[in-house]
Amino acid sequence: MVPFGTDETIRRIVSAYSDMLLRLACTRLGSTADAEDAVQEAFLRLLTARPVFRDPEHEKAWLIRTTLQRASDIRRKAEQRNVPLEDVTEPAAPESPGEELRSAVRALPEMYGAVIHLHYYEGYSIKEIAKLLGLPAATVGTRLARGRERLRQMLREDVV
Amino acid sequence: MNDYRKAFDELSFSADFQERTADLLRNRARELEKERTDMTISKTKKIAVLAAACIALLAVSVSAAYAWLTPAQVAEEHDQPLLAEAFEGPDAIEINETVESGDFSITLLGLVSGRNLDVLNQDLEKDHTYSVLALRRLDGEPLENETFDFSGYVMTPLVAGCSPAAVNNWTLGAFAQGFAKDGAYYYLLDTQSIEMFADRTVYMTFYEGFVPNNTIFTMADDGTIAFCDDFTGVHALFTLPLDSAKADPAAAEAFLTENDMGWTNERTEPEGEWEIERHETEDGEEIFLRPEDGGTDASH
Repeated sequence: MVPFGTDETIRRIVSAYSDMLLRLACTRLGSTADAEDAVQEAFLRLLTARPVFRDPEHEKAWLIRTTLQRASDIRRKAEQRNVPLEDVTEPAAPESPGEELRSAVRALPEMYGAVIHLHYYEGYSIKEIAKLLGLPAATVGTRLARGRERLRQMLREDVV
Repeated sequence: MNDYRKAFDELSFSADFQERTADLLRNRARELEKERTDMTISKTKKIAVLAAACIALLAVSVSAAYAWLTPAQVAEEHDQPLLAEAFEGPDAIEINETVESGDFSITLLGLVSGRNLDVLNQDLEKDHTYSVLALRRLDGEPLENETFDFSGYVMTPLVAGCSPAAVNNWTLGAFAQGFAKDGAYYYLLDTQSIEMFADRTVYMTFYEGFVPNNTIFTMADDGTIAFCDDFTGVHALFTLPLDSAKADPAAAEAFLTENDMGWTNERTEPEGEWEIERHETEDGEEIFLRPEDGGTDASH
């Protein structure tokens, strides 16, 4: 593949993955500005780490996992600075059913949020998510079922 | 599902995010390129000037006091459960040797070889070797993802008696990843399996720089590889205790034939100032050294 760092690859990667990664970061971060930071850091990591990808799926998987790690780092750092968790994950009281659902997703343990999002928003199958996150398919299936159940309990209605 | 999609579709991000991010990446790419070029020029000058430089003392010792993550924990940090399991298994080789060089303490924690251990990079045809190395600063200052220049260093296996230009990260199809945790920085290196060379002396090296060449390494008549006496960058060399029964001489020979490259310790770098020109080609990058006052090209 063409090395990352050329104008062409920067344009291609930013255009192809930004929307997907920004929304994914929002499963861990309540502020869209923080999500933008997490995604930018993931792209920068691609520039400095210079990984060699075997195919486009490998590239996508690397970006997904790096974005999730960066989002978790940002969240943990905020927590370590003693910023109340609600300021990190819930910038405002839910004003809409959409915000209520997003808050519930952010309140899920991290192991569930990404799986739920990749399945219900991005439309990936369990097998595809397993490959993207580097997990056995059975684990993804369990996380999906448990995450969905927790969401239902939190929202007290069958939203998914 | 429609509710879920709608909830995340509602999110609104900066309108200029993509443009801003592309600009940021382009600027950073230019900075990195300049740093690499400056480093290369600086090293060429040092070679001319530091003919009598002191040999860096490499104190190899067994790592004891510092509480590193285990290789299995490093694999878990990368969401690699199969690899983590392999690092806990009977085929894993625990090393825990430390070299202090420059401002760093460099510890090779361990390695494991096997097939399909990386869930993301399933390679049905070849075994891979996964090696874990940890770094920390000797002055105690923590290493952090944001500030540590991962790309300024190379972690690569080398094999005694084989040209470092023929057996290294580039020819072994390496994939390196790293992260900082608790002030230390961890490298996880995935290469095509190095066990085929197990009947020879196999090294794992870590150094400041780029592709291995004879300004970094020297090979003795008996095939022993060492860092050049005048190599001043951070560096460490570990000898790997591989099981010679796992060697595959036929595969090793085939690999060496395919990647046949000569080696000479004799340097041909010219004195004086040279310009570096880089051109991207379909096969990678072509680097030319050209005297600043014009003259014949010397391609590397």
